[in-house]
Amino acid sequence: MAAEEWAQELARHLGDRMISLTPFARTLGRVKFRPEAAREIFRAVHDDLGFDHLSMVGGIDWVDRREVIYTLWSDRRVAYLFLSADLVGEAPHIETASAVWPGANWHERETWELVGIQFDHHPDLRHLLMPDGYAFNPLLRSFKLHEPEELEVKTRHV
Amino acid sequence: MSAAPENLPRPLTPGMPPPVLPMADAAPAIPFLEIEALRAQQFIPAAKEALGAMIAEQGRDRLTRPVFNWAGRNSLFPLHWGLACCAIEFAAAFGARWDAERFGVVPRSSPRQCDLMIVNGTVTWKVAHKLVTLYEQMPEPKWVIAMGNCATGGGPFRTAYSVVPGVDKLVPVDLYIAGCPPRPEAMLDGILKLEQLIRERKE
Repeated sequence: MAAEEWAQELARHLGDRMISLTPFARTLGRVKFRPEAAREIFRAVHDDLGFDHLSMVGGIDWVDRREVIYTLWSDRRVAYLFLSADLVGEAPHIETASAVWPGANWHERETWELVGIQFDHHPDLRHLLMPDGYAFNPLLRSFKLHEPEELEVKTRHV
Repeated sequence: MSAAPENLPRPLTPGMPPPVLPMADAAPAIPFLEIEALRAQQFIPAAKEALGAMIAEQGRDRLTRPVFNWAGRNSLFPLHWGLACCAIEFAAAFGARWDAERFGVVPRSSPRQCDLMIVNGTVTWKVAHKLVTLYEQMPEPKWVIAMGNCATGGGPFRTAYSVVPGVDKLVPVDLYIAGCPPRPEAMLDGILKLEQLIRERKE
């Protein structure tokens, strides 16, 4: 599919909820969307554009903002697509994707505990890799390497 | 033609006389046994008295502990589990080449049957309370070996956000084995050194 046709189809389905479309190597590109419209974006991408498989959910800490990234795969188009949204503020949050793609459940749990992004209406948002009550988001850039004893005191749960 | 009686011995080969059976009432008296019986009559009360005095003076453990130590050190049953790559060496030690069962070391799948926990691998905070639960399920007396650098002090992951910096933060450790991972010879050497520790155990 030519790039112009694909951009027109995206604009027809997503409308002004899409902010920009950036070319990305070996994919259909990276779509940046407004986080307020996450639910409608997920529905449109899944139902109308045919991306029925969610490969990965991840997060990036850009110090001034946090970015949440979705990697989608379409069997019909045989192509990948990236979705991303910028989240600003002290408590970044976005609508969950697990209502559309159930496989997003554990990915969002991992993103929540490591990058500190809250997923609204998530069915079971609790720790996945860390013990319950873990006090840090270790993949944030503000997370410093702790002395083992200090980390032990703050994470003691046994 | 009459059949031979069943209770009579038959000749082994035709033409040979039957074997001679010893008569039941012809057992000769053995003076040696009589002397031993007389000695025992005198020795057993004296031994009972001496043992009673020793138990009253030093406690029952003075007598039973060497027996338990001997039995325990010759049949150490480690818990059969694996945490990380050290578990590969742990498993190899029970294979054909090293054969740790020579020393009575048999891995058991239930902590109720174990008296030795070999922590073979990286312990994360997520698995820490499960390790403590397994340790508490083992019956006394019990020992812990920290196998490899990760279990000893966190290893290369010492400053990581998810790794326990040494399993001695969780359970008391009797012996540390260095290596990343230690070879099966090192693990066997550690087990033999633990047997030496048990041999010298006082309390």
